[in-house]
Amino acid sequence: MDMLAKMKEIICNYVEIDPETINEDSRFIEDLGFNSYDIMCMLGDAETEFDITIDQEEIASCRTVGELIKYCGGLVNE
Amino acid sequence: MEKIIGGIKRECYPLTSAQKVHILTLDYSPTHEIVNIGSGAYLQMKLNLAALREALNRAVERCESMRMRIWKDPESGEVFQYIDPYQNEYFEYYDFSEWEESRVEEVLNKWTSQPFDTYGGKLARIVIVSMPNGYNGYYFNVHHACMDSGSVIAFSRDVMEIYCALLYGMPYPKPMTSYIESVKKDLEYEGSKKQKKDEEFWNKVLEMPEPIYTDFTGPGRLIQLRKKNNNPEQRWGLLPSANGDGSTITYELDVDSTKKIMDFSAQYQLPVSAIILHAIRTVLSKFNDEETDITIRDFVSRRSTLLHKKCGGVRMHCYPLRTIMPLDTTVLDSIRMIKKAQDEIFIHADYGTLEYVRKMRPRYGVAPGGCYHSVNFTYQPGTLGGLGEALNGIGFKSRWYSSGKQPQPMYITAMHRPGDGGLNFFFGYQTECATPEEIEFLYYFTGRVLFRSIENPDKTIKEIIDMT
Repeated sequence: MDMLAKMKEIICNYVEIDPETINEDSRFIEDLGFNSYDIMCMLGDAETEFDITIDQEEIASCRTVGELIKYCGGLVNE
Repeated sequence: MEKIIGGIKRECYPLTSAQKVHILTLDYSPTHEIVNIGSGAYLQMKLNLAALREALNRAVERCESMRMRIWKDPESGEVFQYIDPYQNEYFEYYDFSEWEESRVEEVLNKWTSQPFDTYGGKLARIVIVSMPNGYNGYYFNVHHACMDSGSVIAFSRDVMEIYCALLYGMPYPKPMTSYIESVKKDLEYEGSKKQKKDEEFWNKVLEMPEPIYTDFTGPGRLIQLRKKNNNPEQRWGLLPSANGDGSTITYELDVDSTKKIMDFSAQYQLPVSAIILHAIRTVLSKFNDEETDITIRDFVSRRSTLLHKKCGGVRMHCYPLRTIMPLDTTVLDSIRMIKKAQDEIFIHADYGTLEYVRKMRPRYGVAPGGCYHSVNFTYQPGTLGGLGEALNGIGFKSRWYSSGKQPQPMYITAMHRPGDGGLNFFFGYQTECATPEEIEFLYYFTGRVLFRSIENPDKTIKEIIDMT
């Protein structure tokens, strides 16, 4: 399963949304309806799923699904 | 595990860490109503008693935590929970429509002060009521080990949506999620890798030098305590809370002012909770000789996933949110620092509150009941708003009622009103710890700091303190 598909799976545990409508441009707060607590928990799931450690400072500027995938992808490749 | 209770085989589960806090509260409280949550949900329309009774029954059937019972094993003394099978219930009806609003409030507060039989009995009571001004709905009292405010809101929404579905053929709401599934997940956490990681985080927090107690009335209490203990260096505080007598004062922030906060939150991508915490933090600094090390206890709802948003039960954990910032920190940087501290708490919020306290006390030599925070805070973004729209503009209101007891000396809850969305600030306080005048003072300065900060995000904390 590619990273976008995995990320959609994780996101759909948090918000009631059709996974087909999620794309790399989807913004967590404005488009998907996440709040800051949801985001932190979702990042925790991403850490477990991809076996990575997310740096809070570095992730602070990630606002879209695509940006998060890019960030997590970079850590996976390391 | 299976247990035989009253001659019936029951599937039992240990209590979760969030539930244990409330059981511990009972152990230290002379009265059990301290763990009651009283509320009401009312529609401004003619009552259809049969339909509301049906809606309440369907909602109780769908909500496992409404049927949760607590049982103490008489041999081991261990406490367990189980779900009682659904049975059709007859809900009483009271007509208060001709009464004065204040008199009804008195009665409903009194009902909220009736304690539950924690071990074995039902842990919730629902009464259908007709209220003054044409409102009809139901009063709801529930044991805190059974539900928290997030659950009460989710349950009330379910009742009202089912009621509307029955009356108007609107779509039937999606079912609640399983409370027992959420309990199992919490129990799986015990001893897991995630718990170990969280424990490491909290151990690291405790490696920091000792915090300092900052009281919402100023440094007087800490000074007195230092004298009493003959220890001029003492940094922890202790608020009197022998009987837990308490009350709640509610302040309603108007819609325009609430909008200013929401707009600021959207403009700078900063959570509303961090903005309010910044205001409370700055007031505590102002009241305590411009102290730069401030601790506020932050309550986390732990309801992020769909399972947890609609499973009922009690999930709240609370932790100290400690920030040390120099007075020349700007408002924006202050809120960002609070957000960062809060995010770290969020990540590690599954760790039990009691476990943290048990580590903190010996670490700093704090006496039982001692702490570094005088203010507890929670922001509740969920509301019953939106139901009014679903009902084509039919008036809707909800209320919280007081049992006359408060488990916390000072507990501020910020919550949006159903209907206009304005913010309500509930100040729950123990009468031994605060007077209504002190609460008024605290709210007044919190409001002043809040709006001076929003209007001047580049000013420093010192400048904001001087402006207020």
